[in-house]
Amino acid sequence: MASVISYSGHQYLRQRLVLSILSGKPVRIDKIRSEHENPGLTDYEVSLLRLLEKVTNGTVIEISVTGTAVLLKPGVITGGSVTHDCPLSRAIGYFLEPLVMLGPFSKKPFYLTLRGITTDQDDLSADLIRTVTLPHLQLFGISEGLELRIKSRGAPPGGGGEVQFLCPVVKQVKTLNFVESGKIKRIRGIAHAVRVSPQFSNRMIDAARSVLNRYIPDIYLYSDVYKGEESGKSPGYALSLLAESTTSAVHCAEAVSQPGGTPEDVALLASRALLSEIRQGGCVDRKHQCLVLLMMVLGSEDVGRCRMGEPTVRTVQFLRDIRDFFGTSFKIVPANPSDPSCAELMYSCYGTGYVNVNRTLA
Amino acid sequence: MESQTHKTHRPSNKAEKKTKGKGKGKQSGFNEKAFAPKSGRRAEREGRRNVEREQTRLHVPLVDRTPDDIPPPVIVAIVGPSGVGKTTLLKSLVRRYSKQTLQEAKGPITVVSGKKRRLTFIECNNDLNSMIDIGKVADLVLLMIDGSYGFEMDAFEFLNILQAHGFPKVIGVLTHLDLIKKQSTLKSTKKTIKKRFWTEIYQGAKLFYLSGVLNGRYPDNEILNLTRFISVMKFRPLIFRNSHPYLLADRIEDLTPRETIRASRGKCDRTVTLYGYLRGTNLRQSSKVHIPGVGDMSITSVNVLGDPCPLPDADSEKRRKLSEKKKLLVHAPMSDVGGVMYDKDAVWINVPGNFTRGATDVPRGEGEQMVMNLQDVDVTLADTVSRSQIKLLGSSSMPLTVEPHDDEDSESLADDAEEDEERMDDSEEDDLSDGDEAEGTSEEELDLGSDSGRGDQGRTSSRRVTRPIAGPSEKERSGGDIAFADSDSELGEGDEEWHNRGNSPPLDLEDDVGDVSDENDGDGEEEDMPVGPAWKENLSAKAAAAFAEHARRKRRKDWMASIYSSNLTPSQIVNGERECSREEDPSDADDFFRPKGASERKDDELDRTKEILSLESLREWENESTLDSLRSAFITGDHAPADGVTAEGEDGSEAGDFEDLEADESSPQQPPQDAEAARAAELAAKKAELKRKFDEQYDDPEAAKMDFYDEKKEEINRQLQINRDEFEGINAEARVLVEGYRPGSYVRIELSNVPCEMIEHFDPHYPIIVGGLLPSEERFGYLQVRIKRHRWFTKTLKTNDPLTFSLGWRRFQTVPIYSLDDHSIRMRMLKYTPEHMHCYATFYGPVSLPNTGFCAFNSFDGETSMFRVSATGVVLDVDRSTKIVKKLKLTGVPFKIFKNTAFIKDMFNSALEVAKFEGAHIRTVSGIRGQVKKALSKPDGAFRATFEDKVLMSDIIFLRAWYSIQPRKFYNPVTSLLLSDKGRWSGMRLTGEVRKEQGLKTPLAVNSAYKPIERAPRRFNALKVSKKLQAALPYASKPRAMKPQRKKTYMERRTVVMEPEEKKAIALMQQIRALRKDQVARRREKQSERKAAHRKKVEKEEAKRADKEKEKRKDIMRVAGLKSKREMEAEEGRPRKKRKT
Repeated sequence: MASVISYSGHQYLRQRLVLSILSGKPVRIDKIRSEHENPGLTDYEVSLLRLLEKVTNGTVIEISVTGTAVLLKPGVITGGSVTHDCPLSRAIGYFLEPLVMLGPFSKKPFYLTLRGITTDQDDLSADLIRTVTLPHLQLFGISEGLELRIKSRGAPPGGGGEVQFLCPVVKQVKTLNFVESGKIKRIRGIAHAVRVSPQFSNRMIDAARSVLNRYIPDIYLYSDVYKGEESGKSPGYALSLLAESTTSAVHCAEAVSQPGGTPEDVALLASRALLSEIRQGGCVDRKHQCLVLLMMVLGSEDVGRCRMGEPTVRTVQFLRDIRDFFGTSFKIVPANPSDPSCAELMYSCYGTGYVNVNRTLA
Repeated sequence: MESQTHKTHRPSNKAEKKTKGKGKGKQSGFNEKAFAPKSGRRAEREGRRNVEREQTRLHVPLVDRTPDDIPPPVIVAIVGPSGVGKTTLLKSLVRRYSKQTLQEAKGPITVVSGKKRRLTFIECNNDLNSMIDIGKVADLVLLMIDGSYGFEMDAFEFLNILQAHGFPKVIGVLTHLDLIKKQSTLKSTKKTIKKRFWTEIYQGAKLFYLSGVLNGRYPDNEILNLTRFISVMKFRPLIFRNSHPYLLADRIEDLTPRETIRASRGKCDRTVTLYGYLRGTNLRQSSKVHIPGVGDMSITSVNVLGDPCPLPDADSEKRRKLSEKKKLLVHAPMSDVGGVMYDKDAVWINVPGNFTRGATDVPRGEGEQMVMNLQDVDVTLADTVSRSQIKLLGSSSMPLTVEPHDDEDSESLADDAEEDEERMDDSEEDDLSDGDEAEGTSEEELDLGSDSGRGDQGRTSSRRVTRPIAGPSEKERSGGDIAFADSDSELGEGDEEWHNRGNSPPLDLEDDVGDVSDENDGDGEEEDMPVGPAWKENLSAKAAAAFAEHARRKRRKDWMASIYSSNLTPSQIVNGERECSREEDPSDADDFFRPKGASERKDDELDRTKEILSLESLREWENESTLDSLRSAFITGDHAPADGVTAEGEDGSEAGDFEDLEADESSPQQPPQDAEAARAAELAAKKAELKRKFDEQYDDPEAAKMDFYDEKKEEINRQLQINRDEFEGINAEARVLVEGYRPGSYVRIELSNVPCEMIEHFDPHYPIIVGGLLPSEERFGYLQVRIKRHRWFTKTLKTNDPLTFSLGWRRFQTVPIYSLDDHSIRMRMLKYTPEHMHCYATFYGPVSLPNTGFCAFNSFDGETSMFRVSATGVVLDVDRSTKIVKKLKLTGVPFKIFKNTAFIKDMFNSALEVAKFEGAHIRTVSGIRGQVKKALSKPDGAFRATFEDKVLMSDIIFLRAWYSIQPRKFYNPVTSLLLSDKGRWSGMRLTGEVRKEQGLKTPLAVNSAYKPIERAPRRFNALKVSKKLQAALPYASKPRAMKPQRKKTYMERRTVVMEPEEKKAIALMQQIRALRKDQVARRREKQSERKAAHRKKVEKEEAKRADKEKEKRKDIMRVAGLKSKREMEAEEGRPRKKRKT
């Protein structure tokens, strides 16, 4: 009945699937790596589609024979207890990110167990999702029972990590008015090392402190060492940092061990990335722009405002996709018109009044 | 009063009061002593009551989304049975507000009622479909009740419909009270009706009494009172309406090209525009709409038009009262206000009297003059165009010319028309060919011109003219010129503005567009240059410059335009590339096309959230000054670097440099006084905020603390204020993009592919509502609802019987399955709805939000005397599958019994089926429990089962299973507006109904007939308890059943020899007994005789009484018949003014 929205190209697949499921409009994506030497969907994309099928009821996913086209007719998000083994080509963050967007709008509270790699180069690590992404959801009134448990860690390439994602169900998300970015008041971080010397995490902490100590004394970097079964199948270490402002705006950065690198390199990378993230300004860091913008669109029929840095490439496409699915656009103006040096932008939109249709009464 | 010749002066009341007040020294507001409580108990009670009263004031705070400045008109629906005086009331009300008497009141009528309020009156006819639709949009209902008759079923039905869809305000209006002659009867009637009304609505609901009709209207002062009540009415937002946009169409136009209609003989889908005030929430263009009675539709376009019935503006606002001029405003396109009537596809100007062109002596209005001038046109538009000297460009040497190539087209048209003429003697074709002959041209666009051929003959009333073929769009435009003109220009301007915005920064920057792009290009190159080995020299300055440049460039970017209205790729936007070909095809911007090269280039890019970090790209952070430049972002850093108070110490100079750089950048773009003004404003705002805080704390620290209720209300108000302020500045086009069309604006919605019947069978008496749908509501699924059969509905509802729901905007027929929760284990199907209880129903249909109310009907038939609302309820759950089960009992019989094991047959048909049920619990009728074990090989479907005890061959074994059922995927929207007779919609019927209508008998299967059951008497074997067991049993449990005694007992064996007197005594006793028996028998006989006689007597009396009764009834009927006959005669004599609706 609803008209199908078409896209081409393998990029931005996740956000389009999420938007389709939330808005209920079918989506067709074709020309997926059609010119590529390895055409069609990759294993992790197929795995994501399977996962989406698991957490929904009545979803129809049609993948063409060559795998270069997908048609998704969304059903209702049911949630509940779901277990999924993620392929080792992508980290758990790849799968968790879209599910964080879907979680609050399901029929039953999410109790999702994902197994695979918890931290890698490309995707948000389980630590960041726990410490940064979920607090972003709290801005929208989704807090009670929202939890991510890291049962065991898994570094690439072997994986072997396991996380549990618990998400409550809401009727409607709150409207966001987040315009004061405030000043950074504390820096926190988690340094973890699995199947390597526990000293590595301490070395990372020391190196990070050498950069960050000049700014603020309130720095706590936790050394998180998993042992035995809980430490996965491969060695690795990483440092994730987050800076929280007086208005509880959070910026984060993360660096992961490279073969041949030293823990100090990782720490420097992470802390410098954090600094450049802070320089971007705004109330929301760049990795979470999409999430915040989506929740703003799904808010009640009021004006939501958020101050952020410049949109990333992903965000720009996300804004366009939102217009396709929800028919609403953002007003994007400089946050501080009188100050020309200010690169921050004010994103404001009129919420669509999205109500969780899937929620069961009584 | 004492008698006196001269009246003494009486001081006025005012003076008296003054002196009194002064004299008694009553300065303070009231006497405190007078209100002091006399007893503690009473004081306590009073206090409690006050608190309770305070609590009743509280309601759940709801957001009212109707805009404050220009709210949409309040919809006042007039509802009641036919002949109760709805039209009279409508006309009276309209006359009260607009001083105009309507000849015909059709469709919505909008009037200005006050400085801040407009009203849309709509009369609801007595059709159930209309009542449902009106109930969904009306803000205020004037429920009319015939006082001389009392409540009718329709009123109750309507109230139930209202209840299901959010209760709007209801005012009762009692009419026909003049028909009640006796004062006491009138009083009691009023009282009873009021009581009933109050129980239906709420205690103290307003009920109005309208006495009689004067000059075809209700008495003016009564109407005045009613309008006063209407004008002070406050409305509480209703949740459904506060989350959906909607519109009550007050005008409808058909925009389909005449030619396509003609070619398809009027059967093609139409393009239709609907006009009305937007209500509810903001309407987005992409959203779908539902027109109840027609179906779902997608909006082709929306235009905001000028308000046809505007609220008084600022200058008239200064007056306390509404000016008389404003009072005259009335917008009622479907009625004939001021002689102008908007028909479904034309605008009629009604000219009273005999209108002839020749008669010049009669003074004419401007409009008439204009129309007549138009009729004088003797050249066609094409001729004018061909003669005109329009040049396309200023430099063009030749004017535009028109090739006369459409001749043959029109000829064929004319031919067609002639052919058609023979077939259908339609006035349309007639006109067309006439016009063509008369004019002798091939012009079809000037419909007025073709009219002139006939205009000579003159006519008194508006003729039913249909327009020539290509007319509609042109005519539409010319007809609605006033309405469209400004909107069109708005559009154009808006476009221009949009592009301007796209090209130049949104702020007041004086720089040229070209400059900017040049700069940007340069920047891009600079940025792209890889950081060479010389990166170390003068790093800080470079970094600062780069940062400033970066910032400046970004600032100049119009993000909205580049994201939403360009077809740059996202990475191009982010990296700051400009689109060179934006101007050539802006319409393309929506599509998501990318040049192939670009897509290929990015092909191998992963869908990653984190960027790849490299030490190289973050090298700038090795530098001290860069690191220090970030100090201000921390709480430990200095506060406002822009204030000029830069960081001191070793990096002071560098930081200063940076500041200077920035200042240099900003000064040429921004006039310094502007920045100063901004700073001043900022300072002022800060001061104001500080002052507010101080005041709050100093004046009354307690006052700032609000209770939960006030806090919530305050929160809502704050959000509403933000909503108002946020998009205040931006232009209309962008505003529509961001927030959609706001409620209160008068819009024109164009819909395509509308069924032709909607236009063909259009009737202004039936309301047309355009209800906006939320994205989720376009989908279909299984809805689980909590439902309760209405207690006035006489039948029970049966599973799988079709039922018509009114849910959300929609009305549709579907097939529900009723169910109940069985101990929270399963949803068990019910065959029928429970008598006085809620149950669940599951059906297939369009998704609605949980907690939406609905009502259901079995038929919309207006003839039935039954209560038509069959059920009401609320939506609980939406899903794509259901979990309803019904019980299925499989039976079998044992064919071989071992100890606790038995072989069972006749339960299954194959070993496969048995395998499916292995381990299932089974039971005998007598209650012996068991389990299915394994299939047997020999008889197909037989299996081995074990029981807790030995079963009998005569036992029936059964297996209780649950069979899941799905509701049928049947969804049939009620398309009542598409019918010519709109009350006659009927959906799917039951087989029985169809059979009844066709006079068919129900086929009767032989096996279904009931026959007497013959059961062989069942023989039970004696209970055998083995001797050994018996011996072991305790005494109490030993079986008592002994063998009958074979030996005679002593009492039986003995012989009795009586003494003679004993014998005598016994004989006497026998005789006495015999006598007594005889006596009793005789008495009984006598009594029965008496009884029979009495019965006869009673019967006789009964018959007499029945005769009398019959006579009496006959008398009554005769009188009633006479009365009705007289009435009928009277009615024939003077045609009554009862309008049938």
